Amino acid sequence: MSSGHHALSFKVLISTAIALAVLTVITVAVRSIHIPSPFNIIVAISIAVVKAYLVVMYFMNLRNDSRFNLLSFVFSVLFLLILVGLTMLDTMFRVPIVPGF
Amino acid sequence: MSHNSSAVQSHVAHHFVDSEQQFDAAKFGMWIFLVTEILFFGGLFAAYIIYRAWYPDLYTMASTQLDTTMGAINTGVLIFSSLTMALSIWAAQHNDKKKTGIFLLVTIACAFAFMVIKYFEYTHKFHLGIFPGEAYTFTGIDHPKAHIFFSIYYMMTGLHGIHVIIGIGLIFWLWMKNNKGSFNSAYYTPIEIVGLYWHLVDIIWIFLFPLLYLID
Amino acid sequence: MSTSSGINADLGLKLKRFVTPDHPEVNYAQAEKGIKAWLTTVDHKKIGLMYLGAIAFFFFIGGLLALLLRAELWTPAKTFLDADAYNQVFTLHGAIMIFLVLVPSVPAALGNFFLPIMVGAKDVAFPRLNLLSFYIYLAGATFSLYSIVTGAVDTGWTFYTPYSATTGTSVVSMTLGVFILGFSSILTGLNFIVTLHKLRVPGLTWGKLPLFCWSLYATSVIQILATPVLAITLMLLVMERTLKIGIFDPALGGDPVLYQHFFWFYSHPAVYIMILPGFGIISEIIAIFSKRRIFGYWFIALSSMAIALIGFLVWGHHMFVSGQSTLSSIVFSLITFFVGIPTGIKIFNWVATMYKGSISMRTPMWYAMIFLFLFTIGGFTGVTLGTLSVDVHLHDTYYVVAHFHYVMMGGMLIAFLGGLHLWWPKMTGRMYNERWANIAAFLIFTGFNMTFFTQFILGAKGMPRRYYNYIDQFQSLHQFSTVGTWVLALGFTIILIYLLQSLGKKGVIASKNPWNGRSLEWLTTTPPVLENFTYTPVVIHGPYDFHKPIAEFEYGIESHGHGHHDASVHHSNEESVNA
Repeated sequence: MSSGHHALSFKVLISTAIALAVLTVITVAVRSIHIPSPFNIIVAISIAVVKAYLVVMYFMNLRNDSRFNLLSFVFSVLFLLILVGLTMLDTMFRVPIVPGF
Repeated sequence: MSHNSSAVQSHVAHHFVDSEQQFDAAKFGMWIFLVTEILFFGGLFAAYIIYRAWYPDLYTMASTQLDTTMGAINTGVLIFSSLTMALSIWAAQHNDKKKTGIFLLVTIACAFAFMVIKYFEYTHKFHLGIFPGEAYTFTGIDHPKAHIFFSIYYMMTGLHGIHVIIGIGLIFWLWMKNNKGSFNSAYYTPIEIVGLYWHLVDIIWIFLFPLLYLID
Repeated sequence: MSTSSGINADLGLKLKRFVTPDHPEVNYAQAEKGIKAWLTTVDHKKIGLMYLGAIAFFFFIGGLLALLLRAELWTPAKTFLDADAYNQVFTLHGAIMIFLVLVPSVPAALGNFFLPIMVGAKDVAFPRLNLLSFYIYLAGATFSLYSIVTGAVDTGWTFYTPYSATTGTSVVSMTLGVFILGFSSILTGLNFIVTLHKLRVPGLTWGKLPLFCWSLYATSVIQILATPVLAITLMLLVMERTLKIGIFDPALGGDPVLYQHFFWFYSHPAVYIMILPGFGIISEIIAIFSKRRIFGYWFIALSSMAIALIGFLVWGHHMFVSGQSTLSSIVFSLITFFVGIPTGIKIFNWVATMYKGSISMRTPMWYAMIFLFLFTIGGFTGVTLGTLSVDVHLHDTYYVVAHFHYVMMGGMLIAFLGGLHLWWPKMTGRMYNERWANIAAFLIFTGFNMTFFTQFILGAKGMPRRYYNYIDQFQSLHQFSTVGTWVLALGFTIILIYLLQSLGKKGVIASKNPWNGRSLEWLTTTPPVLENFTYTPVVIHGPYDFHKPIAEFEYGIESHGHGHHDASVHHSNEESVNA
């Protein structure tokens, strides 16, 4: 039986918040180094993904939760990627039908 | 984990077998709701990504008009509010009604701080003539699609702001309920599910911040 | 009773046999009386019936609009409506039929009524949310109807930009209506998913779930994942009209094809929201009236999930001539063919179930046969249209109109009627006149084919859809199609009459299991009691194990915990199986 009643740990919550704060400082600081594009986007998004992972797993406590809750979260991200991915299959590969139009 | 005290059972609706089943159902329901929230914002993220792929220069130029410091402060504020939200659950799990209330109030205060900062950002832009859509009159960005970036900016941050305001209402409702002594270590379902909502609002901002403010 | 004793050991429960009488002393409708009790009820059965009433009303409105526009097409150009009015009529017909009838029809009406009973629960997981979703539906419907009063909408039900962003008609109230209806749909889906996960009774494993429940599960998953994207798209459309944000309107620097992507990301899966519950009903009907265990249970169950998944990957086949990139057209066309596989699996399994079965051609079974015939035509023409090179010619012709009516009306609506006839005795306690029911089914089948098969021919000859005018050569075909709609209307009128008549004083009282079914809804009283069962059923056999005696399906345990028990049903025949 999956139980959602999992006691939170004060220490873990505080550490998570500190980690999130540090990552925010890093992501702002990294900007001044001027990493060439597209790596700057990759770095910024990677940091955001790590931060989101921390919030989901520790604040929202998904690591101790039912696997169906995890599954529904994963599915939402997956289908968002489908929306973006398949739309870009069009928007990135359009050829002007009438040249110069 | 059995919750057999009569105080617990009084919260169990007639169609549930026990408190455990009810708690799991409520939480699962909230996660499914969060799925819809993610895809709701997802449409805007998709529009953002597609326009960014079309006009990367526009994003670099337009982003200079956004105040990184204010954005960073707001990120910190929301992270802190997420912490206090989680701590209010922690306090409820320890039957500490007073601390639960304090943490909820701090969360509300952070949410207000976030909105105040947002207000200053918006009014500053309005002052410059940076409005969404047709009302856009700013001439400082030399790009024919400049108004579209700000349309997307206002849609994304606006929708997020509406979620923050709804969150304030919900957390205030929790605070009132907590004052009445509705929560204890065996029953804190409303704090738990509003908490999930609030963390999602935080996560969306975690992505909005680098996507809008940190482009160079 | 050695089998049952073995089961006792398996589940670790002390089972008892509960034989419920045919009729309760107090059924769900009598438990709380008065208009106020109906309007504030959280009972899933009453909410389902209120949905049924609302959906029937909007079906009537949408049907009248269809009659109107077919009548207008009796002659080329003006018969009695002017061109603007004609545009508004077909837009409203489409929008009402899709958003107010087809999307909620089976899940919100029949699903709401039967899903909790089929899993043995007392109600859905969130009963108040369920009631809220009904009122949200009414609010959305009000907005949509308001748009008719304030000038109607002439964009077609798809609200394509840039026209929808600039036309003077009341697009905002209509799109807000659809936006609100989306929330209602989401709440129903959310409720069903949680109910199926958390409220199944002991012994009811996923493998013993009736296939109707599986199909509703797949439907709910689509509702949850797709509807929010429609919501944000319509919000952006409203913003486009009010603030001119310029994301979709090319005159403001936007991209209209982007709107189509976002719109069809919802609206193509929405086709499966509409048809999947129909598949579920057909599975139930064919198993019950063939008295055979369904062939390939897991294939049918999982093909619903496969359709739900693949349905998200094919939306671009609506946009082959929109100017999207050739690459994406090719990819979308290819993936579209894959939808045919799980759908074909279902058709073959249904036919295999009937093979060597003990088939009785009662009214619901007639509808299932009509479904198989019409849906197969609809499905095949769908694959034709999914072929890139063919679609370039057939796009926006009557061929497309005929195709989606074969799927939506010939498929979904026929399945809905099948489900209505299957469960009507359980819902109302009354049996309808089967002779008239069969006549009506025959009329609907005939009228439907007259109306829409003609349109395949018209489309193949090049008649474009949504056109007010046409060349004289098409007139006889158009008139034949219009006559078909009158036959359809007659069929639906007969259904309305005999269903209402069955509720009257002369109505025949139905027994609790008129078709000799095996799933849980047939084991409770007719009509059911307020909380569906007076005990907690325990499921031992599958829902299609017709070869097992009905007695082995009647085991359960005493309901425990708290909550009010309906004491109206007396357990006249309780026997312990532990002996």
